[in-house]
This record gives sequence, C-alpha cells and structure tokens, in this order.
Amino acid sequence: MEAMHLVSATASFATAIFLAGEVLQQGAVSKANGFLYADHLSALAALLAAFVYLVCAPYAVGYLRRDEADQAFAPSGDKRAVLRKLRMYYSLTPLFVFCMFLVVVSNNLGVMWIAIEGTTLASIFLVTFYGRPTSLEAAWKYAMIGGVGLSMALFGTVLTYYSAHLVLGGDSVSALNWSVLVLQAPHFDKTVIRLGFILILLGFGTKAGLAPMHTWKPDAYSEAPVPVAALMATAVLNCAVYGLARFYVLTVRCLGPAFASNLLILFGLLSVGVAVPFILVQRSSRRLLAYSSIDQGGIMILGLGFGGPIGTLGMLLHMTYHSVTKPLLFFCVGNAQQHTGSDSLKKNGGGLIHALPITAPMFLLGTLAVTGTPPFSMFQSEFMVLRAGFAGHYLVLSMIFVGCLVAIFCGFFHHVAELVLGPPRGVPREKICPWKTYPVIGLSILVIGMGFWLPAPLYQLVDGAARILAVTP
Amino acid sequence: MEFWQDAQFGNRMITLMAALVLVLQIMMVTQRWLITNIRAFAVQSFLLACIANTIAYYNNAPHIYAAAVLMLLIKVILLPVLFERLVKRIGIRQEIEPLVNAPISVIIAGLLTLLAYVVAESFHRPDEPMGPASLGHNTLAVAIALFLIGFFMMVNRRKALTQVLALLSLENGIFLAAISLTYGMPMIVEVGIFFDVLVAGMVLAILVFRIRETFDSMDVSRLSRLKG
Repeated sequence: MEAMHLVSATASFATAIFLAGEVLQQGAVSKANGFLYADHLSALAALLAAFVYLVCAPYAVGYLRRDEADQAFAPSGDKRAVLRKLRMYYSLTPLFVFCMFLVVVSNNLGVMWIAIEGTTLASIFLVTFYGRPTSLEAAWKYAMIGGVGLSMALFGTVLTYYSAHLVLGGDSVSALNWSVLVLQAPHFDKTVIRLGFILILLGFGTKAGLAPMHTWKPDAYSEAPVPVAALMATAVLNCAVYGLARFYVLTVRCLGPAFASNLLILFGLLSVGVAVPFILVQRSSRRLLAYSSIDQGGIMILGLGFGGPIGTLGMLLHMTYHSVTKPLLFFCVGNAQQHTGSDSLKKNGGGLIHALPITAPMFLLGTLAVTGTPPFSMFQSEFMVLRAGFAGHYLVLSMIFVGCLVAIFCGFFHHVAELVLGPPRGVPREKICPWKTYPVIGLSILVIGMGFWLPAPLYQLVDGAARILAVTP
Repeated sequence: MEFWQDAQFGNRMITLMAALVLVLQIMMVTQRWLITNIRAFAVQSFLLACIANTIAYYNNAPHIYAAAVLMLLIKVILLPVLFERLVKRIGIRQEIEPLVNAPISVIIAGLLTLLAYVVAESFHRPDEPMGPASLGHNTLAVAIALFLIGFFMMVNRRKALTQVLALLSLENGIFLAAISLTYGMPMIVEVGIFFDVLVAGMVLAILVFRIRETFDSMDVSRLSRLKG
C-alpha cells in the first residue's frame, strides 16, 4: 500500500509537469471533446496540488508507521482495525487528490462544483481518522458548514447557467463550459450574475475558509492526520480560490470590476483581521497553523480583489509560495506532536530545539517564511498584493492590512519561538526517522531557494495565469 | 385535444404541486417526530420528481425524465429508507425542543417565503412570452423559499439527523430552481450532482450513527469541545 501510494504521488506529479509543459508550449489545451480544459491557471493549480501530494506521500508513510507503533488510531493488538484504518487512508487520500485534479481541469463549471463537493466527501472520513469524540465533532462541523456553503455555490452555478442559457439558447451541453462562458459573459443578465456571484463567493469562500465562514477550519486541521491537514490547507484552499477566480473573471467581464472587487476585498480583509486575535492567544500549534491558513487565504482573495496585473500576479505567487511553505510547517508540527504527544503550546513549553535538533530549527525557519519576513519569498508576494492595494487607491484598507500582517507576525513568531527555544526540559532526543525528516529538509531547501530564485518556466506559468485573471471588461 | 395536452393545464399542475412542496417544507419546520419528518421529505421529493416529469412532458425535454428517475431512486426511496433504518437502530424518535418554538418558526418561514417572492420578482420578464422564466416564476419563488427555509431549519434544529434532512431539502430547492429556470442542468452535471447527494447522504448517515454511539446522543449542541 505504501509503495502504491508513493508511485501514485510520483505519477500524478509527473502528469502535472507534463500538463504544465504542454500548456506552456501551446497555450490552452482542450481534451475529450471539450470536457477537459487546461490553461495556465489550471496547470498551475494542478502542479501545486501534485507537488503537495508528492511531499505528503513519503511523510505520510513515516507518520502513519509512528502512529501505528504508538497505537494512536486503533487499540493495541487489533491487527484488523489497524489494517482497516491504513486501507482507508491509502485509498481515500488518492481519491481526495483526484477530485482536486478534476476541479482544475474540468471545463464545465458544473463538473467543477461536483469535484469540489467530492473533495469534501472524500475527506470527511479522513478527518474522523483517529475516531476521538473531538474528531467526530470536527467532521460534523466540516460536513455541515461545507455542505451548506457548497449548496450556495451550486445555486450560484445554476444562476450562471441560467444567464448563459438565455444568451446561448438551446445549446445546453456547452453552456456551462468556461471556454464558452468567458466569451459570452458581457451579454449576460446583470441582476442574475450579481446574485450568482454573491452565492458563489459565499459558497467557495466557505470551502476556502474565508471569515466569517471559517469556523470549521481550525477544528478539521487539528483533528485530521498531519499529511491530510497539509493537503487541505494548501491544495484544497488553492482549488477553492481557483473556482472563485473563474467566476470572478465572468463577473468582471459582465459587470465591470467594481462590484466583485469590493466584495472580495471585504472578505479578504475580514479573514486577515479575524486571524489576528486568534493567533495572538492561540494555545494549540495545529490551530495556530489553521488560523495562519485563514490569513493566507485572505491575502490571496485580497490580491484578487485589488486586481490589476500586479494584484493577480501577487495572488498567484502567494499561492505558489504558500503551497511550498505550509506543508513544511505542518510536517514540523506533526513531528513535534508525535514526539511529545501533544500539540499544546503551553504543555510543550519550550526547549524543543534540544529534543528535535532537525525539526525545530526548520520550524523556526518556516515560521519566518510564512509570516512574510524579507529574505523569504512570501514577503515578495505579500508586498506585491500591498502594492496593488496602493495602486488601486485603497490607502486605509492597505494600512489596516499591513497592521494585521505585523500583528500576525508578532503572535506567530512569539508562539513558535517560545516553543522551540529555551533550556532543555528533559524531553528525550528524537530518533531520526528518514521518512519524516527528509521531506522537512527538502522543503526547507526549497523555501530558502525560492526566496532567491524562481525557475523560469514556473514564473511563465504564474505570469500566464495572472494574465487570465487580470481582465478588463 | 384532451385537456391534459393543454400547456395551461400543465402549468397549473406544476403550480399546485409546487405549493404542496412548500406546505410540506413548512410542515417539516414544526414537525418533531423524526419518522414523520423523513416521510415528509420523501413525499416532497416525490412531488418534485412529478414536477420534473410534467415539465419534461410539456417542453419535450427528454433529459429531464432522467433527472426525475434519479430523484425518485435516490431521494424518494434510497435515502429515506436508509434514514428510517438509522432511526430504528439508534432509537431516538423525537426531536427535542428546537431553539425557536413552533408558532414563531411558522411565522419566520412565512416571512422567508415572502422574501423569496421578492427575490424571484427580479427574474420575471413579462416581455418574453413563453420562455423558461415565465413558466418558472411561481415555481422559482417556491424554490428560493425551500432554500431559505432549509437554512432556517439547519440553524433551528439540534438533532443531527434533522439537520441532514434540512440540508437535503435545501438541495431540493436548488433542484426545483434548476428545472424551473433552465429545464435542468446539462445531463452530466445532473448525474454528478445526484451522485454527490447520494454519497453525502450515506456519509452523513454514518457520521450521525457514530456521533450517537460516541456521545450517547444526537444532540449537536453537545459537540462543543473544540474552541478558539
């Protein structure tokens, strides 16, 4: 099972690279009679999802082996229960990732909705993996809030289809295909699209965990196994933002930029703002990461809302860098949690650097990177979003944004530094597990490297995707 | 010409059935017996399948028949049977007092229906003689009302199973909106949505069962340990 998992992860990464290569050479690709469609934006999102899956796969092997030894997910001696859980993990995770791929390559916006709902359904039982009462609670919130949110998105999709139907008439098969819709968008009914976009924003915003629909996120992230949480925090977030971005383009082409941008800025800023108090007083390291991911989602939405070539480029670069940095943090937290047996910031106290000589410094490094400290790449993308804000004359909002970022940096760094640094507290040194350590080291090298150098093809991909989003009506 | 071939007759039948759907939804708001709730949901879904059939018949849209058949299989037979077995197994028959009591709930449901009519008004186009919109004006209002009342039920109810029913009836509202606005979504999307609904229903049923086993209750207000 483990080998299969690794092979499938490698294969999907290779496929994503192949897709990206094809898109870079030929522009948008369409397959299977127009059912599948990939442009730069899809290729970028697919590449990021495949990348996170690729780094999560080896980590998951080490993580689950350790859990099995600790009897964390099944009582001792019950071989069959252990096997059942492992089978569940190794079958649901690929399904989960497959749904994400379907989200980004489907041309039909209805199929895209189905695939996004599919990611929720595939991951519910991954959230209940440990079978604790709290994991049931988390899964329940996840399923219910996600279900309501996505039903709103479905209503929005129906309305979009309706307005396309009025324009395109009987040709109903292709009337939800993005490649058709984007050309016809200026002729759509304005009232319907306005209502539709609000519903879509609420719906996919729930899936992306934007405030105030974010409440499922900390619970689900702290209860799911670490590799799944890492996938949810990066790849699923990207998929939801991707879906939102597609509808954003349609709305801007139909209504002009003001309406959609103002809504996006409102929700983006709210998400960044909501994360601040919760990060400052947080007691659990996993929930800390969840609030950080709400904050990052807010920054992406804010970038999209500020719009223009700089805003969208900043948003997509942020998406890329975030997908590299966040898994690193999740893996570090996972290593620390498995070693000390708790994810509480207070109980672990400090001095983790003596017990975990590799993980702990990387954790510190990842923290600096994710909060946007200068040598690292996320500073660059956050700065770009900010520049777009000033260029769009959103002076007050941009100031608030900077204030929130500074507060988040202080809170996040304070917590992690307190956890990592300090005198030893008698926790034994970890035994190095290669499965769990090499992904951490590899990601750290990438995080440092990307601060100075972004491969040219990747930049071309991001740039091409940004051009798709930076529309003028 | 027989009377049932007259499009006017079909239109009236649809409006009548849509009204019954709305009545059933309001009944579900006040009903406290779980089994009755499940059956009301099944009847509501059955009426929706009938509406879909009627629209398919009068508009020569054969792909709506497929949607109606899926509706019948999944929401009228499969999921209600599954839920009734679940109720028998977990042995909880009655909903505890909802957050807002029955008379006020009915008033709120009425206000939401009013709101739905206001929203549906913006879709009305008198200049288009027999477009989808003119057929669906009344029906669309009912669909939006189902959607809004479904929301209200999810907030108001505390048993896990009734919340699932509320979510599914909310989905019914979207189905009605889709067939009344555009004669249904494209075939592949329709099938996909039904598949999602089926899987969601089963996943949620399992989740409800496990919550009941672990917490010895289906009361979701007990799920309050995760904070901050």
